[in-house]
Amino acid sequence: MNQNFLFPHSYKRPALIVLIICILFSIYLSVFGSEPDFLNFNIGEKMRGDELKVITRNFAFTIDGILLIISSIVYGFSKEKVEDEYIQKIRLESLVWAVYINYALVIITFLILYDISFLYVMVYNLFTVLIIFNIKFYISKTKLNKSLSDEE
Amino acid sequence: MKNKIKIQRAIKDITQAQLAEIIGVSRQTINAMEKGKYIPSTVLSLKIARYFETPLEEVFSLEDED
Repeated sequence: MNQNFLFPHSYKRPALIVLIICILFSIYLSVFGSEPDFLNFNIGEKMRGDELKVITRNFAFTIDGILLIISSIVYGFSKEKVEDEYIQKIRLESLVWAVYINYALVIITFLILYDISFLYVMVYNLFTVLIIFNIKFYISKTKLNKSLSDEE
Repeated sequence: MKNKIKIQRAIKDITQAQLAEIIGVSRQTINAMEKGKYIPSTVLSLKIARYFETPLEEVFSLEDED
């Protein structure tokens, strides 16, 4: 009767593992700035003068970005152990909250950062709404469980 | 909206966990409803009333501000 567009509960744990790995890898990429060589791929060839040059690109950021988005979506939007209307309300509230916070941060950075610094913000902004949502949703669930254990 | 789930539960002598299991929601949801933190949907209210074998108005009632 109630159609929701959520992933099965069993996806939650694997998604969390991938998410954590991706976040750690993102930190590694932004701190060290070095991209692992095994992720170099030839994406084509082009003529430069008389010479045929192979174009190589590193796919570290590409793969990390895609997996980060997919895993955080699956983690946040997979069913809870008992998926009922109350948890759906909490999920929705977390999503609203995350959008507000995210765009408040975007507006602040709009005002205080310019040029290349702002470009970095935009890159992080690709993921922040999902990350903030997941954190807020997790905190809400923890609070809920805590209020339950306080009663016992 | 206020409710008498806790009282009805005492009459039936069942725990929050048992009621949650029967109705098909989490224990957190039953707890939140009893505390007045969550207003259940019509379907859920009807399910609860049906389980307690009472009319809906016996379990749920409007408050002045509603």
